[in-house]
Amino acid sequence: MTETIDISVEFGKLKLANPVFTASGTCGYADELADFTNINLLGGFITKSITAKPRQGNVPPRVAETDSGMLNAIGLANIGLDAFIQEKLPLIAKLTVPVFVNVAGETIDEYVAVVQRLAAEQAIAGFELNISCPNVAKGGLSFGTDPALVAEITSAAKKAAGDKVLMVKLSPCVTDISVIARAAVEAGADALSLINTFTAMVIDIETRKPVLANKTGGISGPVIKPIAVYLVNKVYNEVAKERGIPILGLGGIRTASDAVEFIIAGASAVAVGTANFVEPNCTVKIIDGIKKYCAGHNITNIKDLTGSLGREIINPPSPPLPAQPSPPPSDSTPSTGSTGTP
Amino acid sequence: MTNESSGPDKGMFDAAVFANKHIKGKFYRLGLEFYGDGAAAFAKARPGQFAELDLAGIPLPPTDAIAEDLRDASERKILLRRPFSFCDVSSRKDKIRVEILYCALGPATLRMTSLSPGKSVSVIGPLGNGFQSPADKKTALLVSGGMGAGPLIHLAKTLAADYPKMGIIAFAGAKSKTELPFERPTDEISQQLGFALHEFARVGVESQLATDDGSAGYEGFVTDCFTKWLGRSSLAVKDTIIYSCGPEVMLARMAKIAEDKKIDCQISMERMMACGFGLCQSCAVKCKVNGSSETIYKLCCKDGPVFDSREVAFEL
Repeated sequence: MTETIDISVEFGKLKLANPVFTASGTCGYADELADFTNINLLGGFITKSITAKPRQGNVPPRVAETDSGMLNAIGLANIGLDAFIQEKLPLIAKLTVPVFVNVAGETIDEYVAVVQRLAAEQAIAGFELNISCPNVAKGGLSFGTDPALVAEITSAAKKAAGDKVLMVKLSPCVTDISVIARAAVEAGADALSLINTFTAMVIDIETRKPVLANKTGGISGPVIKPIAVYLVNKVYNEVAKERGIPILGLGGIRTASDAVEFIIAGASAVAVGTANFVEPNCTVKIIDGIKKYCAGHNITNIKDLTGSLGREIINPPSPPLPAQPSPPPSDSTPSTGSTGTP
Repeated sequence: MTNESSGPDKGMFDAAVFANKHIKGKFYRLGLEFYGDGAAAFAKARPGQFAELDLAGIPLPPTDAIAEDLRDASERKILLRRPFSFCDVSSRKDKIRVEILYCALGPATLRMTSLSPGKSVSVIGPLGNGFQSPADKKTALLVSGGMGAGPLIHLAKTLAADYPKMGIIAFAGAKSKTELPFERPTDEISQQLGFALHEFARVGVESQLATDDGSAGYEGFVTDCFTKWLGRSSLAVKDTIIYSCGPEVMLARMAKIAEDKKIDCQISMERMMACGFGLCQSCAVKCKVNGSSETIYKLCCKDGPVFDSREVAFEL
């Protein structure tokens, strides 16, 4: 039944098989995750941040758990552009899924240098500009909170990206995310991804010190999902919809229903982050769950779902099967074994 | 320590609980059974490797069964998996049994105590590199602190089976007798023969016990107990290897002892992990580059948890 459902999406100039990405920083360079899931089944893959030079990252402890979230201050630890090209790109080139490289840096020139060097690589479909990392002293969030800097860095990266898709990743740690989104789009961003983590702190009450060596970190996971849904909806309505800019929604997604919420809010696609740590195959389950949701709600094309918040439901959900006693199987009532209970 | 069986080297599997034995105090021993691909993967598990258990959906034990000092922790929800090394891996027909020594210390391990035979738990593993083969060494000295005993019990069994001519001696320490993660010491005669702990004695490995307060065995740190023993021995250092697991301050001391005596030493490190297989980059261990003053971060989950003691740049 789900075979007839079209959940392919147009994302910038790309046509994706489905709307589910892995989120940068939570899926390595692809080889680590490949032991646990079939990456080629995804809509897109986003590498962890790449900087021009290798970065050691922050002093540990780098993570702390909260009741429904995870605090991290990794500090953009990565192998650097040269090693990425030599060691990881050959593996990435074997993937059939569109791959985005998340790009970070301390200066605009560094972002541009990374994008420019990778723009010629066929294995790469696009870039995600990380201007929203809260865990580094230079670059990261300091770019993402100033609309003028956002415009400048987006414009420079767009020129360097050639024909690749340029996506800009937004921080929620701003007064009005739509102002930043507008600056990015007007400077040439092909897509927006939101949200990155919130700056937060966990304190060890025995030592009265922050748990993280960096003192603060970015919080992710289920705790941020409702805020992320709100911000996706806000940016969709205020910036993206009228300009036809696709949004990659992320923040605490771990189930298909989470993903569907983001899509209804206005996301063309979604990215799964922290949940990969707990269940590295969850993206594939989410893809399957989205198909089932569409099938159960008479949605034959997922584009009809994007930004459908508050829109009148033309095709109501399929009526639930009656509770006990189950009807006998017939040509018109396929026997699914379901009791109709959600 | 090799296994020729086919199937995946690691993965995410459902394991069936076959036992969850309360040892004493807050110490427990969980037994997990793997089938199919899970059995194929865990048949290759080496001592020092670990697995990530998803305990978020496991119910808490009844409130009156929760120790007073864990009541506050029991109110906490958990999100991430928890890493555990193995104290035993054995085969049983087409199944593989993995046993985990653990201590109920917080919201996740407290939930773990309520796992009962027949229940299922999601496991990712086996992960990490494990202890390396002793190759041509004639003596292996195993030194543990507290819960570090778990992987060394597994190592003792494996070494005894794979290297029957090798001399293997274990040294286990804890703050006090009540904090030793063992069922009970052996009888007096066995102790006089050098077999202080059942867990090592049953695989024919001698063991010595140390407690900081002297409530059992040697009075003092296990590192001091070990150093005194080493001073009395006439081992050829080139034929000897040390394996160690325990608190970081103890491992730093073991690394110094090994360096001073020029004995090869492998240590199992511990770090907070979010994933356990290299995605999150959270479990950084500062390591020396070719013995120089330059350092780099390696990942405890992928590059470790076992490191050559000369490699780690301790910051204590």
